[in-house]
Amino acid sequence: MSIGHFWRRVRGSMQGQVTLLLMILLIVAGSFLSPVFLTPRNLLNILWAVSVLGIVALGQTLLIITCNFDMSVTMSVPFVGIVTVGLQIAGWELGPSMLAGLLAGILVGLMNGLIVVLTKANPFLITLGTQTLIYAVALILTQAKTWYGTIPGFTVLGRGQVFDLVHYSVIIFLVMALLLEFVLRRMPYGRHLYVLGLNEEAGRLSGMLVNRIKILTFTFCGFTAGVAGLIMTSRLNSTRASGAMGLDFDSIIAVVLGGTSLFGGSGGTLRTVVGVLVLGILNNVMVLAGVPYEAQWIAKGVVFLFVVWADTFFKRH
Amino acid sequence: MRQEAFAGRLWSILTRQTIVIVLVGLTVLFSVLNFQRFLSGENIHNVARQVSFDTIVALGQLVVLIAGGIDLSVGSVMAMSAALTMGLQGYGVGTAVAAALLMGIVVGVFNGLVVTRGKVVPFIATLGSMTAVYGMMLTYTRQQPIPGQVEWFTVFGSGSVGPVPIPAIIMLVLLVVFHVLLTYTRFGRNMYAVGGNQEAARLAGIQARRYLFWAFVMSSFCSALSGVLLASRLNSSTIHLGQQTALFVIAACIMGGASILGGRGSTLGAFLGVLALTILANGMNLLSIFTYYQMAIRAIILIAIVAIDAFYATTVRRRLMRASAIGAHVESQPLSEAQD
Repeated sequence: MSIGHFWRRVRGSMQGQVTLLLMILLIVAGSFLSPVFLTPRNLLNILWAVSVLGIVALGQTLLIITCNFDMSVTMSVPFVGIVTVGLQIAGWELGPSMLAGLLAGILVGLMNGLIVVLTKANPFLITLGTQTLIYAVALILTQAKTWYGTIPGFTVLGRGQVFDLVHYSVIIFLVMALLLEFVLRRMPYGRHLYVLGLNEEAGRLSGMLVNRIKILTFTFCGFTAGVAGLIMTSRLNSTRASGAMGLDFDSIIAVVLGGTSLFGGSGGTLRTVVGVLVLGILNNVMVLAGVPYEAQWIAKGVVFLFVVWADTFFKRH
Repeated sequence: MRQEAFAGRLWSILTRQTIVIVLVGLTVLFSVLNFQRFLSGENIHNVARQVSFDTIVALGQLVVLIAGGIDLSVGSVMAMSAALTMGLQGYGVGTAVAAALLMGIVVGVFNGLVVTRGKVVPFIATLGSMTAVYGMMLTYTRQQPIPGQVEWFTVFGSGSVGPVPIPAIIMLVLLVVFHVLLTYTRFGRNMYAVGGNQEAARLAGIQARRYLFWAFVMSSFCSALSGVLLASRLNSSTIHLGQQTALFVIAACIMGGASILGGRGSTLGAFLGVLALTILANGMNLLSIFTYYQMAIRAIILIAIVAIDAFYATTVRRRLMRASAIGAHVESQPLSEAQD
């Protein structure tokens, strides 16, 4: 047990400390900015606001553990909404339209997975390409207009609450996070993901069906995008092609903030919940501080770079 | 070893030929579909002008790609540069242009430092800077287009010397400069070495970090330059500039023979790639293909370019270079031929 060994272990857990520090700073700033900041109601509101992002981030977490990314979520999430509302307008019932929307998300994930895995291409670039493609399709379908839901019961998913307190979407988010954490830690599929992230060749040699696992993970990310899309569309009771700008970026920040390494092989969905929460608090504080929309991009970019740098600094060496 | 060198040479010839075939094919296609307008002097003139802006950006991106990196911030830098060029005109055109170019250099330095000192993977680093610069651009412009005030400034972007548009002249000059730099100087050769095999380059005494750093500076500078010219052409700046640029120029460079893995690529190839994609857009415009359909077609082609390049990279070039997904895990030696 040398000093070096000890130092490495400390550094490994340091990254989590950075995020916790950030969260504490933000909470302090928030409570200065507004007396209602620390109330349970506000915190639950923050959770509600980020539940869409959070669900997407869960799918993204699984991908990042395997060293892959899905940048197409920015457009697939609204696209799911477009399919759902479009079918409703065409006369479909509520249930089938939502299922169709979910299926659309799954298919997008499958498409991403097939292209990236079978050609071994850079997942960033491919999913950036599919992002543009889905955007184009969405624009063609909607002609850049906003579509409104037609079935009254549709908004229950996104706006409904349990005991008038906790929103359904928050519960869905947290339950999914817990289930996924269980899958990651206890089930073979989950453990395979970590192996793939750490050493894909080793995984292949030990018999893992690498391609199949990766494609499945991409498809699952599409599924989470589908769920998120349904919730978002149901909450707003409307949908438009550009409704989720910045989601790709935000979901990656949330995952990294939570402590999952971009180099793969580590992390988990519970951590992502923390990361999502911190991001939500950051947004809330920026709004309270009157930071204009444009500057929020700068803040997010800076936070992103800082967190990524910390991730590299503490994990890679 | 000789076999691999030959395979590498053969591959670069093949890719060069593929892009030429694609180019000729596109030109023939659109000539047949829309003879009068496509091959008219006016259209050729327009295409030549349009190609210039993107080629300048592509040249910078090419250097980064050769060095084994990638620069996603080019679009944002271009937009910010255009905004500064227009917005600061009140202080004098020269000052505005200088400020825009300086901003480009600063962003390039920042990118270079984050990648080489912060050891952050280029993709992620430039994703972050892209977002930050985008935010700065939005803040500076307050999400409004900025109109130009000085009439004579538009000559750089809109003017021509005889039949040749001025941006095209600037592009040609830069093409020659970059070609000489990459092919005939030690700086250029080392850049290829750094991208091709970082470990070997390091052992040969080449400081990979320094080259990667300068590559990013060059890339951002080129983006800023293109932004200045674009602002001159439009005599305004809008917030939508450069949103598709990064993927566009990366795909163009890849079409021309560059690779995400680094160590390959040529200025001529990059130019031909930009030309092919621009002709595609131009042809589709002339056929009055609806904008959104154009977007879809372009996206499909971009995906195909990246996918095909990757596919060949792993099946053909696998032995020539080390594969690295976002820079994370490295396949050191291929342990077996088995793939599932």
